[in-house]
Amino acid sequence: MPVKKALRLSRRTLLRGAGGVMVGLPLLECMLDGGPARAQTAAPKRYLVVFDGQSLGGDDDTLLSEFVPDTVGSGYDLKTALAPLGAAGVQPWVTVVSGMRIPTAAENGGTPPAGGRADDFHVSSASPLLSGVRSPSSSGRVYGPTSDQLLAAQLAGSTTFKSLVYRVQAAWYLSVSAPSGRDLISYKTDSSGNVVPIPAEVSPRQAFTQLFGNFVPPGVDPATAAAMDFQLRTRRSVLDLVHRRTERLVPQLGRADQLRLQRHFDEIRDLELRVAATPPPQTSTCVKPADPGPDPALGGNQGVDGGGNTTYDQNLGYSNEDDRAKSFIGLIHMAMVCDLTRVASLQLTMFQSHMNMYALTAQGCDLHEVGHFGAGRETTKQMAKAQAWHVKHFASLISKFASTPEPGGTMMDNTAMVFLLEGGHGFDPGSGKTWSSHSTENMACLVAGKVGGLKTGLHLQATGMHPARVLITAMRAAGYSGTSLGEVSGEIPGLRA
Amino acid sequence: MGLRSRRRWVILCLTLALGCEGKIVGREGPGGGTPSAASLKMGPTGAHRLSRDEYDNTVRDLVGDTAGEGFALLPEDAHDPFDNNYLTQIASQALVDAAEQLAIHVAERLLADPTRLRSLLPCTPTGPGDSACLKSFVSRFGRRALRRPLTDAEVAEYATLQSFAVEKGDFNVAVALVVQAMLQDPEFLYRVERGTPAAGSAGTYRLSAFEIATRLSYFLWGSTPPDWLLDSAAAGQLETRDQIRAAAVRLLGDPPAQERVDRFHALWLGFHQLPHPVALTQALRTETGALIKKVVFEDRADYFQLFTANQSYVNAALVTNYGLSAAPPASGYAWVSYAGTGRKGILSHGAVLSAGAKFGDTSPTQRGIFVRSRLLCEAILPPPPTVDVDQMPTSPTSNCKIDRYQSHSTNGNCNTCHRRLDPVGFGLEAYDTAGAFRTHDVNEPTCAISGDGVLDGVGNFNGPGQLADLLLQSPSFETCITTQLFRFALGRNETLDDAELITKLTRSFHDGQRRFDQLLLDVVSDDRFAYRREE
Repeated sequence: MPVKKALRLSRRTLLRGAGGVMVGLPLLECMLDGGPARAQTAAPKRYLVVFDGQSLGGDDDTLLSEFVPDTVGSGYDLKTALAPLGAAGVQPWVTVVSGMRIPTAAENGGTPPAGGRADDFHVSSASPLLSGVRSPSSSGRVYGPTSDQLLAAQLAGSTTFKSLVYRVQAAWYLSVSAPSGRDLISYKTDSSGNVVPIPAEVSPRQAFTQLFGNFVPPGVDPATAAAMDFQLRTRRSVLDLVHRRTERLVPQLGRADQLRLQRHFDEIRDLELRVAATPPPQTSTCVKPADPGPDPALGGNQGVDGGGNTTYDQNLGYSNEDDRAKSFIGLIHMAMVCDLTRVASLQLTMFQSHMNMYALTAQGCDLHEVGHFGAGRETTKQMAKAQAWHVKHFASLISKFASTPEPGGTMMDNTAMVFLLEGGHGFDPGSGKTWSSHSTENMACLVAGKVGGLKTGLHLQATGMHPARVLITAMRAAGYSGTSLGEVSGEIPGLRA
Repeated sequence: MGLRSRRRWVILCLTLALGCEGKIVGREGPGGGTPSAASLKMGPTGAHRLSRDEYDNTVRDLVGDTAGEGFALLPEDAHDPFDNNYLTQIASQALVDAAEQLAIHVAERLLADPTRLRSLLPCTPTGPGDSACLKSFVSRFGRRALRRPLTDAEVAEYATLQSFAVEKGDFNVAVALVVQAMLQDPEFLYRVERGTPAAGSAGTYRLSAFEIATRLSYFLWGSTPPDWLLDSAAAGQLETRDQIRAAAVRLLGDPPAQERVDRFHALWLGFHQLPHPVALTQALRTETGALIKKVVFEDRADYFQLFTANQSYVNAALVTNYGLSAAPPASGYAWVSYAGTGRKGILSHGAVLSAGAKFGDTSPTQRGIFVRSRLLCEAILPPPPTVDVDQMPTSPTSNCKIDRYQSHSTNGNCNTCHRRLDPVGFGLEAYDTAGAFRTHDVNEPTCAISGDGVLDGVGNFNGPGQLADLLLQSPSFETCITTQLFRFALGRNETLDDAELITKLTRSFHDGQRRFDQLLLDVVSDDRFAYRREE
């Protein structure tokens, strides 16, 4: 560990000493991976949360799920939803935890208990699931910092990005309402001590530029390298100017505006530090990925006038989220290979998602409606098709990590990934239905990676336990020093050695 | 919840105030006076960030860049229903990253277009190090971008970017970098209002002339103030109510005002994004845009004609879609009569009838909520937690929608709310989510649609034409129009302290032949438009 730190510092110091010009420097042999020093160092620990805005099973369908295996323990069976784990060959990296529940107000005299939720569904599970803090009403707000942000504070170290917060579903898609928190899965405590949401990046192109825009590919011609260096220096100067002006502006404002602009200033300062950071050395594994190209159009095709301008916003409920997911997963993988970040949250779909599923699963409705087809329509099987789309991308993330070697084996040996769903399947205290998708009974999630002794390739039944305990277990495996998440404490027995 | 009930009280108070002459307050004195802060009641406000739409408009107007890239890169605005409520905005990494990338892209495109770049320069540079010319540019462009004059120190600060032009041997490099920096300036991204403390009214501030120009321009154009308006501000010609009103008249005379008024309606009536294929979406937007433009700008007619027009601007495809009996236009679009169809005005447009779909079809409940909340400004309480709104209503004996929705009215608890909602939607049932006429339920040929509806407390109707007639009789309708416009104009929802202004606007709207352009002018020529109250 100390060896590596010294090495990295020396290269950064070297680069800074050169006035930020990083081209044309000879790579010392010991800086390359596979060198004698590298072999002795431990890889960083990493933590990822991936979110699927669905429940486990559908309305009026007594089939619990096509997600949870029948077999308990090792060698579990793969039903429709988890079949992509088998197809990608990553099942040995994944443990399924099932049978969990989030308590509701109905069972506590009408008031949500600790770690519990209000009785009406859709988004009331967000706060207890992601932060372990009860939701006093059915609002979409999360009332405590989320697991990714708590861990980022401890894992980030000197990485350029404290965390990545990305969302695949590119828009809310309903024209007569607002998402009201359904679009958020990461919350942090800001510099004023308030719990605030972190709106996600939805543009893969923008994420690519921020992560890898300053990477100079090896062997690049001197003119290109000089142009890149020039642009980097202008970005820094411009941001420095914006920084100074924002800093002067804030105290001139009224109290509420001060708070508003202080948040903006904090983000400017963070961007400035990220742009000032020297890119890590490129190795046989850390390489600048291909530019994902322009983002797919938002909502479908745009109307275009004779001058080539967009004339109105059209909304067919789909922005090629399949491509967007692939791009984000590639970027997250490479960002972690290069140690630009150690924490990421990836919201594949929003809570109560209104993304059009037709292009993905040939289902002629939005994702939310898939769970509500109605009696006799095999809603659980329908939902599993959509879950499988989410799991396919989760499997692809695992596959990339598992095929990247690093000290200790592969990246999966140093990583904890958790795949969460919005709800479970069973009793809905709101409607009184026995089999409802509006339920936080029988919740399940996936955990992947072997960091900190996480056990993989198992199906564990954690009957009646709170799903935040899965997060706590994964967080602790990844090095978190706390023992609780919000109002929930304790790990899932058997999930960690 | 607190906000909802507060809003309901506001509407209640407004209705009471309107219904009773004795309660009307805030009648304006003779026009032309300088606004004063004495006894001004208004809700608090804070810094507004540019919405995606405003950002793209602003960049277009500042540097002639029409890429419209902000729509794709900036975080999505919350539509509730307007996209400019500053209380829904929060700074984030996604925001500052987008602002930086957008600024870089705008600067790159500018540098690659020397003709456009030259048009922004007030001087011809003698070389890359011509600091006088750069400072002159910073001063001129900065006033446009930051919507106020820059101090000498600020000009000098931006001019430090000239070193990069010298390094590159290209003056234009510095111009592009100044643009890149200004497009990330907090005073560009946010409409920051400071003002000066108003005498005798703690927490109230008189806005500067430049801040008034900014409010005017973003309200009426959705974009940055043009040079002539900033000149007026600089010359002290935006001080009195008459001067502010005169500036607004001039803004309304230009095309961006028509776009902005169209956008207000698109957000208010939920058709800013239509869930239809390109050709149909284009036709529907053309149709609705043409009627708004005709009533507000061309005919300057009674605004109620927007709801009562007996013809529509359609192409052959829309004539077919609507099943109009009149002959379709030979080519393109033309005004075609609605005669004999039961259609009238904008509520008959497919654009508006697209709102409130659910379960893959029209939803009588959602359409009822739409009419009640958007057109009558009534607060609709959320259903109790024991109701699963994601379940399609069912009937044990029938697949017909009218029978299935009976479950809402046979249950006493449900009926309390649904009797005010579903019957409104059923009055529109004969019109599908694209506004096409139909006689039976989707895939249920034996389920005939009567199209009979009830607006509880007002009257019975059948179809959007008759619904419009009823709305026009409702005392809440005019108040709701001015309330919605208030929300859009001020970029926030009303508080109890705003009731006085909304009441006054409604009264003058009613008394003044309901001219919408006059209503816009009344908003800006009220004293309160020149002040802000500290949050």
